[in-house]
Amino acid sequence: MINLNQAATTYPKPQCVLDAHAAALLQEPVGQFRSAGSPKGPDVFEACRRNLGSLFGIRAWERIFFSSGATDSANAVIYGLGLNGKHVVTTQTEHNSILRPLLNLTEQVGNVTIVPCDADGWVEPEAIEEAITEDTAAVFVNHCSNVTGMIQEIAEIGKVTAKKGILLIVDASQSAGCIPIRADEWGIDVLIFTGHKSLFGVQGTGGYYVRPGIPFRPYRFGGTGRDSRRLTYEDGAYEYEPGTQNTPGIAALNAGVSYILETGVENIARKEQEQMAAIYRGLGEIPQGCVYGDPGRNKGPVMSFNIRGLNPSDAAYILQNGYGITVRTGLHCAPLIHQAMGTQEYGTVRVSISALTKEAEIKQFLCAVREIAAGIEEAKA
Amino acid sequence: MKIIEKIPSRERCAEAGWYAWDYLLDGPMDAAFIRSLKPLGSFVFLSMLKKPFFKIESDYFLIKGIQGDDFFRMAVHEAHPELLEKVEQFLAAQA
Repeated sequence: MINLNQAATTYPKPQCVLDAHAAALLQEPVGQFRSAGSPKGPDVFEACRRNLGSLFGIRAWERIFFSSGATDSANAVIYGLGLNGKHVVTTQTEHNSILRPLLNLTEQVGNVTIVPCDADGWVEPEAIEEAITEDTAAVFVNHCSNVTGMIQEIAEIGKVTAKKGILLIVDASQSAGCIPIRADEWGIDVLIFTGHKSLFGVQGTGGYYVRPGIPFRPYRFGGTGRDSRRLTYEDGAYEYEPGTQNTPGIAALNAGVSYILETGVENIARKEQEQMAAIYRGLGEIPQGCVYGDPGRNKGPVMSFNIRGLNPSDAAYILQNGYGITVRTGLHCAPLIHQAMGTQEYGTVRVSISALTKEAEIKQFLCAVREIAAGIEEAKA
Repeated sequence: MKIIEKIPSRERCAEAGWYAWDYLLDGPMDAAFIRSLKPLGSFVFLSMLKKPFFKIESDYFLIKGIQGDDFFRMAVHEAHPELLEKVEQFLAAQA
C-alpha cells in the first residue's frame, strides 16, 4: 500500500517512534507525581514539552499542556479562555474541530464571524481586521488548510490582534512538524496541535499552549497525583492535565518531535514542497485533471484535485482498490472552504505526504491517475 | 457467484446519511458477473481502465467495485435499509 493520506494520520512512523512507544509499554509504569520509587531517567512529559517549545518557538514551554488531540484542545481552549459569550472571528478554511466547538459552545462564544477565503484557501489579514468589532474577544485561524495546503500569514494576523488587544488562537494541526512555527515571535496567544499527523505521534495525543498571563480555567477536574487533600481551586492555581496521562503516547510524541528537531523542520518543509510541486506538475499535465491551488501559493504538504467526469469518491475507490494507493475523498471535515473552491457538492480527492514519503510513491500515484484519466477519456469517445 | 460475508465498511460515509457495507464473494468478479448487475439501476462500467471499475446507482443505493476483486461495496441511504436485502436477493437469484 502507498499511503498518500498523511494529512489524516502519518504512516509509517520513524523507527524511533515505534521504539519509544514499545519501550514505554515494556517499562514499569512511572506515574506522574504518584510513584513512591525514584523515576528512571528523565521525565518524558517535561522532555516533550521542552522539545515542543523548541519546535514551536515557545519560551514558556511549561505552558504546553497535553490532550487527546486538536478537537480536545479546541474544546478545552474555547471553554477555558472565558470568552464570556463575546464575538469571535474565524475563517472559512477551518476544520470542524474548530468550527463545531465555536458554533456549539454557545454559552462561551457569542456571534461568530467567518472571514471568507479565496478559491485557493487564502485569507487576507486585512479581511480579518475588518471583521473585528469592539466586542471581539479572539481570532481563531487555521495555519495550514487540510484541504488546499494554503499557509496563512500568521505573523501579519498577529500584528492585527496585538493592535486590537485581542487573543490570537492558531490551529496548527496540519502544520505542526512540517512547517516552521514561531509562536512567540508571531504573537500567538494559544496554539492548538495534534500529535498523530506530522509530529509522528500516535492517535490520541496532542495538546495546546496558552501564553503566560492569560486567565485559563480547565474544563475537566480530577486526580492529578499530587496535593490530594486539595478539593477546590479558588486561588486559580489550576492543574490542566487531570487523570492518568497517556505516558506511552507522550513518549512516542517526544520521539517524533525529537526526530523532527534532528531532521530540521525547514529541511522537511523544503523536501515536502519539492514533492508537492511534482504532484501539482504531474496532475496539471493531465488534461482531465482539475487541480485546486498553485504550488507557488499553496505550500503545505496537502492538496486537492478532481478528475473531470469522475466522482471524487469513485476516483479514490479506484486508487485504493485498483492500485493500492490511499487518498482521501469528500469534504475532509472542512465544509466551508469548499464553497470558495466550488466543490461543495462532491468535495475533492485529497493527496497528502509526510517527511517519509518517497519519490517513487509519488511517481506511482501520478502514473495511476494518468491511467484512470485516460480510461475516462476513452469511455467518452 | 455467492456472497460469503457482509461487513460494515471501514470507510463510513455516514456524514451524507449513507451507510456502506463491503460484500465478500466466493471468487473474483469477472466482466460477465458485473454486466449481470445491470438491471439493478443506472449502470456504469469503465471496462477500458487497467483496473475496470463499475458503479450501479439508484435513488437510494449504490454499488461499486473493480473487476478482478472478490468484493464490492454497497451503500444505502439510511431511510432505505431494505434495499440491501433486495440486492442480496437479486444476487442470490443470479448465483
